[in-house]
Amino acid sequence: MAWLTFAPALGVLGCAAFPDEQAARVAGESMVAQAYPGMPEVLTRRAVQDPPQRICSKIGPGKITQEEAAEVIRLSRASIKYPASGKLVGDWKTGAALAYSGVGTRVRDGKVEKVKENGALCSNCHMLDPREVNAGNLGPSLAGYGSQRGSTDAVTQYTYERIYNAWAFVPCSNMPRLGANGHLTPEQIAHVVAYLIDPQSPVNRK
Amino acid sequence: MAEPMKIRATVKGDVADIRVLIAHPMETGQRRDAKGELVPQHFIQSIVVTYNGKTVYTGQWSQAVSRNPVFAVRVRGAKAGDKVSVTWVDNKGDRRTDEKTVDAA
Amino acid sequence: MRPDFKSSRHPRPRSLLRIRALRAVAQRARAATTVACAVACGAALAQDGKVDPLAVGRQLLAEDNPGELWVQRGEKLFHAKRGPRQLSLEQCDFGLGPGKLTGAFARLPRYFPDTGKVQDLESRLLTCMVELQGYARADIVKGAFSTLDHDSDMEALASFVASRSNGMSMNVQLDHEKEREMYKAGEYLFHRRSGPTDFACVTCHGDEGKRIRLQELPNMTDRKQIQAVVSGWPAYRGTQSTVRTMQHRLYDCNWQMRLPDLDFASDMSIALTTYLNYSGNGAVIQAPGVRR
Repeated sequence: MAWLTFAPALGVLGCAAFPDEQAARVAGESMVAQAYPGMPEVLTRRAVQDPPQRICSKIGPGKITQEEAAEVIRLSRASIKYPASGKLVGDWKTGAALAYSGVGTRVRDGKVEKVKENGALCSNCHMLDPREVNAGNLGPSLAGYGSQRGSTDAVTQYTYERIYNAWAFVPCSNMPRLGANGHLTPEQIAHVVAYLIDPQSPVNRK
Repeated sequence: MAEPMKIRATVKGDVADIRVLIAHPMETGQRRDAKGELVPQHFIQSIVVTYNGKTVYTGQWSQAVSRNPVFAVRVRGAKAGDKVSVTWVDNKGDRRTDEKTVDAA
Repeated sequence: MRPDFKSSRHPRPRSLLRIRALRAVAQRARAATTVACAVACGAALAQDGKVDPLAVGRQLLAEDNPGELWVQRGEKLFHAKRGPRQLSLEQCDFGLGPGKLTGAFARLPRYFPDTGKVQDLESRLLTCMVELQGYARADIVKGAFSTLDHDSDMEALASFVASRSNGMSMNVQLDHEKEREMYKAGEYLFHRRSGPTDFACVTCHGDEGKRIRLQELPNMTDRKQIQAVVSGWPAYRGTQSTVRTMQHRLYDCNWQMRLPDLDFASDMSIALTTYLNYSGNGAVIQAPGVRR
């Protein structure tokens, strides 16, 4: 990821005159605390960072230490929950609908949007069905996911866990921690896993 | 009285390129407002463009044309200084006429 | 017809028939001589001579931006005697002195001694509407974003004042200590991961060539792209059928990030705007822009 390179411009003004990182953080956090007046606490707490988010907010490459990365991985791994049934692979057709749905948990006028169920947001960032052009590229293409990896227990477990909490594998990943943050239920994730893995799924058709 | 239209008219060679930006809500009659009530149809029904007094375009628009429409007409045999006039009438009887002199490109 | 996913910055028309109307324009243009077509769709002619109706639409909107109607209305509102005090905004100081509009937007956000705060365009309009014209702050904030049922005066006024810096370069200066604080806080906030999506601004806007579904994302760590961003706000947004300001853009990003409604003219929004505009210094302003 490219980082900002506007430091030369700042240098002209004299770095000593600028607040340091700690001061900027204090000022920024104070602004966040005042950015949502009158909103219910259950919503404003969304803006409060958890420890992994705090670590992952550092500016500039190489700022996250090995210890911090390990801590993020540890906390993320510990957060993973599985479906009560123990089945990590659900129904791919249900998963397909979820994968292309971007709704859920958004707030308007202090109220969370009413939806039948939260979408999995996948197509916002990932190519899935190779014939569906309407997909993003913030994440790698997942077309052919199942045909490339097969459907062994190891693959389904990895896929499930990666969707539940991607930071268990890549600390500070751009991918939301969909299960850990409560956006998707374990059962929903199992359906998405099926969509990615099932040989019948459009993801794996030529 | 409705907001004025913005008309641009430039001539290149002998073709006048006329662009009209119209301020109009163009309600389809199918939209519901914040209270849940249907917003009545309110759209431009007829529009006429004259060029040096001669009608060069007449249109019968419907509610399918979008809000604040952008509209273009080209006229052959044009020169700078010619007069363009655009008149619209909507389904509530409101009307608006605006004029523009053709500029060189 | 599948849209060309590479050309995804086109505004998505609210009416399908507008596309058909434009296609009809394009078809008539094709039937006519090349001269007639070149006038409007020269840039939209592909190698095979076929006209891309979406490109025609994009070009028409860029050349005749509905946002100009907001500039027109904003100018009227600016000079009209309004509010409980029945005064115009002609004495409003946007940083260059009362009533001095030319080039004022290019220097925003900046510190204002009368309020003791760094303010952007909208918060400054808010200050003047309250202090000069006597409006209640809560009323202006409530109506700050247009809906299809009501037109926001704020959006029209912001369009007008911003347009008075057209052709000039963005020139945010960080001379005052508070301006530097705002800049650094904005930089911090731009990188701050939070919410159910774990997104920071940089998550989507920190890499080259990225898009969400078919919407291309500017890489805001690249100077040229950030200049293209800040030079075009306020912008007529096709999906919103109105001009939207940077305040609304940040509000909308906040919505997509699953955070609560971002407070209008909040310090958070002004800090981010300071950071973005300063980073985009040198951009030639052309407001209102056109966006999806």
